[in-house]
Amino acid sequence: MSEETAAQARASDAALMERISQRDESALAELYDRYAGMLTSVLNRIMRDAQAAEEILQDVFYQLWRAPERFDASRGSLPAWLVVICRNRAISRLRKKNPAAGDELVDDMVPLRFHLETEVSQQQMLGRVRGALESLPGEQRAAVELAYFEGMTHSEIAARTGDPLGTVKTRLRTAIQTLKRTLNA
Amino acid sequence: MSAHPSREEDFDLYALGALDADECGPFGEHLAACPECAAKLTEAKGRIALLAFAAASVAPASGAKQRLMARIDADAAAAQLPAKASVRSEERGVGFSGWWAAALVPATAVLAIATVVLWQEKNDLDKQIAALRNSVTTEQEQLSNSTKLANLIGSSDTVTVNLAQRPGMPKGVAHVMYNMKMKMLMYDGELEAAPAGKSYQLWVVPMNGNPVSAGVFQPVPGQTDHWMMAMPEGLVPKAFAVTIEPAGGMAQPTGPEVLLGAAS
Repeated sequence: MSEETAAQARASDAALMERISQRDESALAELYDRYAGMLTSVLNRIMRDAQAAEEILQDVFYQLWRAPERFDASRGSLPAWLVVICRNRAISRLRKKNPAAGDELVDDMVPLRFHLETEVSQQQMLGRVRGALESLPGEQRAAVELAYFEGMTHSEIAARTGDPLGTVKTRLRTAIQTLKRTLNA
Repeated sequence: MSAHPSREEDFDLYALGALDADECGPFGEHLAACPECAAKLTEAKGRIALLAFAAASVAPASGAKQRLMARIDADAAAAQLPAKASVRSEERGVGFSGWWAAALVPATAVLAIATVVLWQEKNDLDKQIAALRNSVTTEQEQLSNSTKLANLIGSSDTVTVNLAQRPGMPKGVAHVMYNMKMKMLMYDGELEAAPAGKSYQLWVVPMNGNPVSAGVFQPVPGQTDHWMMAMPEGLVPKAFAVTIEPAGGMAQPTGPEVLLGAAS
């Protein structure tokens, strides 16, 4: 995708956020339709509890409505930002690091080279990411999934799988190199 | 300022949260002082966010959007009522600015707030009821399974088949118990983790015909795999076997036998 098209997609999300700032509920409903499926999928995968996943999703969109100014469209992608917030909250709650984690929206913006505004573009990205992960050897894929969906560090993955710490580090590093190469291609 | 990270993928590992505390600390300190590395980390966060697409697609719960919009409506109503009441009082003139306004505005605001609170309480109660239902269902299933297992083990018609490890295959022990009258089969065993990209698959090898799958599994080291299932209709087992198959299992065995036991 060209930088120009990506910028147009961001502007469209930005336009919805602008309408949300003006208290336009239909803009929030449109953003919900656009990204709730993607976010529900990742929340369910992490929490393995549909009720808890919905609770987090509701809170995130509610806070987006309450404080739309926290998102800066000039510095980042809305879906990527929402994914980071949802994942952080889910993992914090899952691991009971902080049951009330994420009561505020984070300020860190997350740029994305890709456009995810439409269902088609999300499906394309889904195929691309899953293809990239499936190209990894099973141990590498498992390590990435434990880190991403369960929030595990190298040591925790080693303890879970029974593999030596050095092996786990090598697996994750190699997996990241491959994913980076594939997703940036 | 400490040195830049030696490898580019460190940014992605940091964004992923995979670095342990002893690695994170120095990295975090460096990031705070190095705009160049902070920018690389921001890019890495975008890449890592895409891993969300690895999750199996799940649609939002039915009614979730309506619940969100209702919450926002209730919130908005609570926030706007005093202002609206104030506008109305101006429209109606001085007479309305008396005790009516003084009583109505706070009363309506209280009502709106109470609506939000009640909605929240209803939500909490719904969640508790759903959790209790799940808990009861799980306990009923556990009780039912325990009863079936006790009946299977206690029946004189039950046959136990020990599955022996095949030479050169992953280590493991397992046995199958089956009962033709009860039409039940139970597998219980412990095997090494399956090779990468593979699963184990249990087969009922019948006296006549092709093997029939009786379960695909991915053992967790140190944990026992155990399940019960109905014996396939009309099947008289000659043997039971566990093979290595592509992840997710196959319609017919294609991989090497890991465990094998004769039924008679």
